[in-house]
Amino acid sequence: MNIKLNLLRSSIGILALCCLASCSDDFLQKDPVIGQVEENFYKSESDAIAAVNAAYAALQFELTPAGHFRWFWGDIMSDDSSKGGEGDNDQFLLKQLEEFQGPTNTEYLQAEWEADYEGIYRANIVLERVPPIDMNAELKARILAEARFIRAYFHYNLTTLFGNVPLVDRVLSPEEYSIAQSNSDELLDFIESDLLLAIDDLSLRSEYSSEDIGRITKGAARGLLAKTYAYRNKWQEAKGILDDLIASNQYMLESDFSFIFTEAGENCAESIFEIQYMNASGGNWGRNNANEGTFSNVFQRARGQFEGFGFNIPSQDLVDEFFDAAGNEDPRLVSTVFRVGDEMGDRGIFTKDATGNQPHDYYTKKTFNRKDEEAPFGDTAPNGGSNDRVIRYADMLLLFAEAAYHTGDEAAAIDAVNQVRARVGLGELPGLSGASLLDRIYKERRIELAMEGHRFIDLVRTGRAADVLGPLGYQEGIHNFLPIPDLEINKSNGVYQQNPGY
Amino acid sequence: MRNFISTIILAFSASFIFAQDVTIKGVISDADYPLIGAVVNVETLGIGTTTDIDGSYELTVPMGTEVEVSYLGYQSQTFVIDSDQVLDVLMVADSQVLDELVVVAYGNQKRSEISGAVGTITAEEIKETPILRMEQALQGRSAGVTVTQNSGSPGSALSVRIRGIGTLQDSNPLYVVDGVIVEGIDFLSPNDVASVSVLKDAASAAAYGARAANGVVLITTKSGAKVSTSSISYEGYYGVQSAQQEIDLLNANEYAVIWNEAYINSGIVPETNLQNTTIFGEGNNWQSSLFENAPMQNHQITINGGQDGFSYGLSGSLFEQQGIVGNEKSGYERQTARLIADFKPKSYLKLNANIGLTNINNRGIIENNQFAAPVVFALNMDPLTPVTKPDGTFAYSDFVDTDIRNPLGALATTFDETSANRIVGSVGATLNLTDHISVRSTYSIDVNHLNQKFFIPTFNLSVDEFDAPVQEINRINTVGFNNNRFRNWQWDNFLLYDREFEDHKLNIMVGTSAIEGSQYFNGGANTDLPSNDPDDAFIGNTIATIESQSTYEGINESAFFSYIGQAQYTFLDRYNAVFTFRRDGSSKFGPNNRYGNFFAASGSWNIDRESFFNVDWVSSLKLRASWGQNGNDRIGLYSFTSVVLGGQNYTFGTDQSITNGSVAPTLANPDLKWETVTQTNVGVDAEFWEGRLSLVADYYIKDTDDMLYLAPILTVAGAAAPFQNIGKVRNSGFEFSSQYRNRIGEFTYDIGGNISFVSNEVIDLAGGDPTISGNIFGGATSRTDVGHPIASFYGYVTDGIFQDQSEVTAHAFQNENTAPGDIRFADLNMDGIIDENDQTFIGNPTPDITYGFNTRLGYGDFDLSLFFQGVQGNEVYNAWVRYDKIGGNRPASILDRWTGPGTSNFEPKVGVTDPNNNARISDRFIEDGSFLKLRNVQLGYNFSNFLDRWNIQKFRVYLSGQNLYTWTNYSGFDPEVGATGSLDLGIDRGFYPASRTILGGVQLTF
Repeated sequence: MNIKLNLLRSSIGILALCCLASCSDDFLQKDPVIGQVEENFYKSESDAIAAVNAAYAALQFELTPAGHFRWFWGDIMSDDSSKGGEGDNDQFLLKQLEEFQGPTNTEYLQAEWEADYEGIYRANIVLERVPPIDMNAELKARILAEARFIRAYFHYNLTTLFGNVPLVDRVLSPEEYSIAQSNSDELLDFIESDLLLAIDDLSLRSEYSSEDIGRITKGAARGLLAKTYAYRNKWQEAKGILDDLIASNQYMLESDFSFIFTEAGENCAESIFEIQYMNASGGNWGRNNANEGTFSNVFQRARGQFEGFGFNIPSQDLVDEFFDAAGNEDPRLVSTVFRVGDEMGDRGIFTKDATGNQPHDYYTKKTFNRKDEEAPFGDTAPNGGSNDRVIRYADMLLLFAEAAYHTGDEAAAIDAVNQVRARVGLGELPGLSGASLLDRIYKERRIELAMEGHRFIDLVRTGRAADVLGPLGYQEGIHNFLPIPDLEINKSNGVYQQNPGY
Repeated sequence: MRNFISTIILAFSASFIFAQDVTIKGVISDADYPLIGAVVNVETLGIGTTTDIDGSYELTVPMGTEVEVSYLGYQSQTFVIDSDQVLDVLMVADSQVLDELVVVAYGNQKRSEISGAVGTITAEEIKETPILRMEQALQGRSAGVTVTQNSGSPGSALSVRIRGIGTLQDSNPLYVVDGVIVEGIDFLSPNDVASVSVLKDAASAAAYGARAANGVVLITTKSGAKVSTSSISYEGYYGVQSAQQEIDLLNANEYAVIWNEAYINSGIVPETNLQNTTIFGEGNNWQSSLFENAPMQNHQITINGGQDGFSYGLSGSLFEQQGIVGNEKSGYERQTARLIADFKPKSYLKLNANIGLTNINNRGIIENNQFAAPVVFALNMDPLTPVTKPDGTFAYSDFVDTDIRNPLGALATTFDETSANRIVGSVGATLNLTDHISVRSTYSIDVNHLNQKFFIPTFNLSVDEFDAPVQEINRINTVGFNNNRFRNWQWDNFLLYDREFEDHKLNIMVGTSAIEGSQYFNGGANTDLPSNDPDDAFIGNTIATIESQSTYEGINESAFFSYIGQAQYTFLDRYNAVFTFRRDGSSKFGPNNRYGNFFAASGSWNIDRESFFNVDWVSSLKLRASWGQNGNDRIGLYSFTSVVLGGQNYTFGTDQSITNGSVAPTLANPDLKWETVTQTNVGVDAEFWEGRLSLVADYYIKDTDDMLYLAPILTVAGAAAPFQNIGKVRNSGFEFSSQYRNRIGEFTYDIGGNISFVSNEVIDLAGGDPTISGNIFGGATSRTDVGHPIASFYGYVTDGIFQDQSEVTAHAFQNENTAPGDIRFADLNMDGIIDENDQTFIGNPTPDITYGFNTRLGYGDFDLSLFFQGVQGNEVYNAWVRYDKIGGNRPASILDRWTGPGTSNFEPKVGVTDPNNNARISDRFIEDGSFLKLRNVQLGYNFSNFLDRWNIQKFRVYLSGQNLYTWTNYSGFDPEVGATGSLDLGIDRGFYPASRTILGGVQLTF
C-alpha cells in the first residue's frame, strides 16, 4: 500500500487516540447539584439558622426507623391506657411493651434511640460548626443555646428511658463511635450543665418575634431543668428554678382547660415547650423527611368513620380517677376522653358501630383534631397538625407543688395545686398534710396531665411504679428502664452493657 | 460491525469488479436431502443467494470469482468460477459445529478459540418462544443464567442473575447492545436480535472492568444482508392470556364456619349475620371476578438488503399486551423502529450506523404489596361481599377491616401510566492503517425520556356517606407526574493489531472508553382538583390551594473513563491465550480511590487437534481455564462524600410557616471503592460423533471481596452509615449443557438441555451485623449473615400443635395465654422460654439447581418444539394471607384446623386474637419453591409447495402455548417468585401471577 496514505491515516488514528488518552480528572469530578458538599457549607448566618433548624426537625421524628411518640412510653406503658388498635396482632410489639414482656430488639426501642442520637448529632454539628461563622453575636449565642437545649432534651429522653447510655458531647469521629455508656448521674449532670448554659443565652418567650414562636425559650430550658432536678429528687434546686420560671411572668394558666388542646390553643399562654407540627401535605414517616405533620392524631383517633387507627385507649382505671368518692365527675374528663355518645368534633357521634365495631369504650381526646383542620392531602390517613405539648405551665405548677412539699413548704404546695384546680372551677384542697398531701398532688397530676405522655416517668420517678404497675407486669429494678436495643448492643461488640434484668 | 477481520479481507477484493459475468446454478444437498436456505455467496463483493425449497440456486458472478457455499452445521466449501456451469454441491456435516463466530467483549472470536465461559443464544432459539421482553430469551437457555419473572404484569422487569448473587447491591448483569452499554434491554424488539452472548467468567467480562462483576450480556442486533439480495418479512402473532389457576380459598359457608369459630374461640360473640353458617353457599369468588382473559399481539416488518459494499436493515414493530388483572389498567404497548446500515466507501474504511427508536406506554397497578395490591385484596376479601351493590356501584366488605379493599373498585380508581421514549444510536468507523493495524472509533448515545402520570380520584363506596370503611373512601383527589430524562454518551476508540504468520495468530487491542451520563428529573403533584375526571387531571387544573402543589427538580451526573488492553494469541491452532487489562475511573468514587485496575488471563487447549489424539468418536475436545477480576460500582452517586441537604424543615411562627433546615443525612466515606469479584473458571467443550452430541461443562469459584455494604454503625454516630467496603461472598458451582441432534429419514430431532448447580454463602461481614430484609406485616423474613446464603429466611421453628394443656405446661413458656390448639415453637436454645433467641435460618430463597431443556422435532413441513424450565432446592415465604386481618378470607387448608386434641398437628386453632402469635415469622410459611414448567410448546407448518408461484421465500404458521403446565408443590399462584430488591428474595406477597397464553402466529418472507 501507498506509504504516504498510510502515514496520513496513521497520524489521524494516533492523534485521535492521544486526544482521548489525555482525558483529565476534571471529567470524573461530578459534584451534586442538589445540596452542597459539607466543606462548602456552614459559612453564613443563614447556614447557621438552617443548621439549628435541622436539629429542631429531629424533634419531629416519628415512627421507625428513627422517631418516637411520647405516648408510647408515657401512656401505653402506664396504667392510663392500653395499646388499642385492631386486635392484639396490630402492632404486637407495642402490646408486649405494655405488658412489660417485650423483647430487647423491638423496632420501637431502636427508633427512639436513633431519633435521640440523630438529634444530638445535629445539635453537636451546630455547636461545632456555628462558632467560627462570622455573624451577629447575639443571634449566634442564641442559636448555640438552642442547640444545647436540644442536645440536653434528647439526652434526657435517653437517660430517663434507657438509664446508662453513651454521652455524646461532640461530633464523633469514626474511631469514637464505640464510646462506652455513661452512668445516669453523669448524664443528668451533663444535661443540667447544658441547660444552665442555655438559660443564659436563650430569649424569653416575649422576646421572640411572632415568626420565631416555637423556638426554645429560657422558660423551656428552665422547665426541662426542673424536670431533670425532680427526676433526681434535687428538690431544693427544682424549687429554685421553678421560682425563676414562675417569676419570669411569661406564662399563665389558660382559663379554658379544653382550649389548650385545640388548634387555636397551640403555643398558648400556658405553653412552655411544644414540638411544632402543622397540617402540611404529605407523610412524615421517620427521619429525613421534610414534611411537617404528625401521626399522633390519626393513630389515636377511632377507626371506621373517624378515619383513625384507634391506638392508645384510655383505661377504665384512668376514667375512674376522675370521679370522687361521691361520684362527682372532674370537669377535666370531658376534655380528656371521648365516651360513647360523645360528639367527635365534626366527624360524627361516637358509637361503636361507627368505629367499625371496635370494642373500645374510650378514645383519647387531647390529640383529637377536627376534619376541617386537616390539609387536603388526598390521603385516607392524613397527618395531623397538632403540636406535641411537652411542657405546659400546669405541669410546672404541679411540679412546684411537689418541690415545695419536699422542701417543707406545704402551704406553697397547696397553693400551687389550688391554682390548677381553680382554673377548672374546682374548690380548694381540704386541709391535707404529709403523705396524704403528696398523694393528692400525685392524683391531681394524673388527672391534669392524663394522656399527655407523662405518667410512666412520673410513676418511676416518684417510686410508685412497682405499686401501680406491678399488676400489669412491672418489676422494679428492671422495668424502670427499657432495655438497650439489642441491635446497638450487638454492634458495640461488648462495649455496651444491657440493663439489669434483660 | 465489529467484524474487522472481514474488513481487512475486503481490502484485497477490489481488483475483480470489472471482470466478465458468468452464471452458475445447481442443487445443494447433503447425503440424504436437498438443503433449504444454504448460502451461496461472494463475500468480498457482497453478492449471493440462498437455496430454495428444492435446494436449488442460481447466481451470476464475475468470472474468476471465489464463491463460498455454506450452511449451518456443515463445512463450508469454496469454488473458483471461470465459466457458466452447473455446480451441484454435496455438503459434509461439520465435525466442529461449535466453531461459529461468537460475539465477545469488543469483538468476535471463533468458538474453538474461546478460553472463557461464554454462553450463547441464537436468533432461532429466541424465535422459538414468542417472548415479550428480551430478558425472557435468556430464561432456561444458558447454564448459569437464572432468569426469574417477578410479576405477570405486562412489561414488568425480570431479574437476571449470572452465576448466583455476588453482591448486596443491584445484581443485574451489565447489558451491552451492539457495543453500547445500556440500562435495561426492554427497549428492544426481540425479533431484532441476532444473537446473545453471556460472559459468565471474569476473564471474558474483564474488558468491562469495574462494571462487569455481575456478568455481561452482549446483544447483537440483526444487520443487513451480507449478499446482494433483499428480503421483506412479516412476523406476527395474536394470542389470549388467561390466569393459570386459582388458589383454593374458603367459600362463603366455609368462611362463616371458620370465623364464627374464631370469635367463639376468642371468647367474643360472633357477628350476628355470620351465625347461620349454611345459607351462604359458594358466595363470591373474588379470583374469578378479578382475573380476565387478556389479548396480546405483536407485528413486525423487517426489510434487509445489501449490495456493493452497502447493507441495511430496517424494521418496525408494534407489541400490545393487556393484563389478566385489570386488562388495560395494566396494559403495555411497545413500538420500535430501527435502521442499521454498513458502508464501505473505501477499501480501507468501513462505516456503520444504527439508530433505534422505542416508545413504550405502560399502565401499572399496585402489585406484590401486602397492603395495597388488588391481587392481595382478591385473596383476602371475604366471599360474602358481592362485587357490586344492587345499584351497580362497587360494594365494600362489612367483615374485613382496613387494608382489604374491593379489588375491582381499587382497579377502577387506579390511573397510572408511564411512557418512555428512547433513542439508542451509534456511528462507528474502522480505518485500516496497514494490512495489520487498524483504528476503530465508535460514538453512541442513549437518551430516554420517561414520563409517569398518576391520578387518584375521589371515591366513596358508602351507601350513606360514612358507612364504608376508611380505605374505601377517598375524599380528596390527587394528580402527579414524574419526569426523568436519562442521557448517556459513550465514545470508544481502539487501535487494533491483527496478524497471522506461520503457526502464530495474534490480536492486540488497546483503547479507551469514555462515558458520561446524566439523569434530569422533575415532577409535581397537586390535590383537590375540581374535576374528578382523569382526562382533566393536570396539576394546573385547579382554582385554589396552590400551596398543595409540590414540585421538585434536579440532576444527577456521572462519568467513567477507562483504558482497555487485550491480547489474544493462538499457536498451532490449538493453544489459545488471552490477557486483558482494564484501568477504570469513575465519578462515583472519591479522589482517594477513583481508579481501579482489573486483570484477567485465560487459556485453552484444543486437544483433538493434537496428532497424538486419535479417538474417532470424539470430534472435538477443548480444555479451558481462566482467572480474572471484575468490579461492581452499583451504588448511588456521591456516596463517598457528605452532602448537606435542605428540607430538614421545622415549623415556626404564630402563623406556622415552614422554615428550612439543612444537614448532611449521611456520613462520608472518602475511601470508598468498588467491590471486586475474583473468579476462577475451568471448563471443557466437547463434541462426539461428528457433532451430533455436544457437551459444555464448567466449574467456577466466584469470590466477591470488599463488598459495597451499608454496614450498620453504632447509632451514636448520629447520621446514616456510609457505604463501606466490607465482607465477602462466595458463589461456586457447576454448569453443564448438552445437545444431541440427528435425523431419521424425513424426521429430524434435536434435544438440548442445561443445568447449573450454584451454592451461595456469605463468608465474612467483617464482624458487622447481619443485614435484615424482607419486611412483611409480621416482621422481617430474611437476613444476610456469615455462613448462610444471601437473604436467607430467618424465623421460628414450629413443632406441631399443643394438643392439650399438659403439653402447653410441659413446653417452654411462649405466652401466658398460650392454649391448646396453638403452635408449639421449638425452644432451640433450651432455656425454657420462647423468645427471639429461638429463631434460626429456616430456608434459602435461591435455587440450588436451575435447568432448562428443549426438544425440536421436524417431519416434512411440520415442526414441533417444546421447552421446559425449572428450579430445585429453593424455598418461598408464603405471605399473601393477611393473618393479621380479622375477617379476611383464608386458604381452604384452614378447614383442617385444630378443633380439639388429635384433630391437627399443622393448622392451629382459629381465633380473632392471636396471643401466642401463631402468625409470627416461622417455617409454617416456608414452602418448597421447586418447580418445573412447560414454558412453551410450538407447532409449526411450513407452506413449501406454492412459494415459487408467489415469489415467497418462506411462509410458516404456528400455534404456540406458554406456561401450559407447572409441576410444583407450592400452594400459591406460582412458585416463581422473583426479587423485589437485591435482598428481598422469594417472598410471595401476592404478586401479579404470570398468565397462560395461547397464540397463533405467521412468519412470511418475500
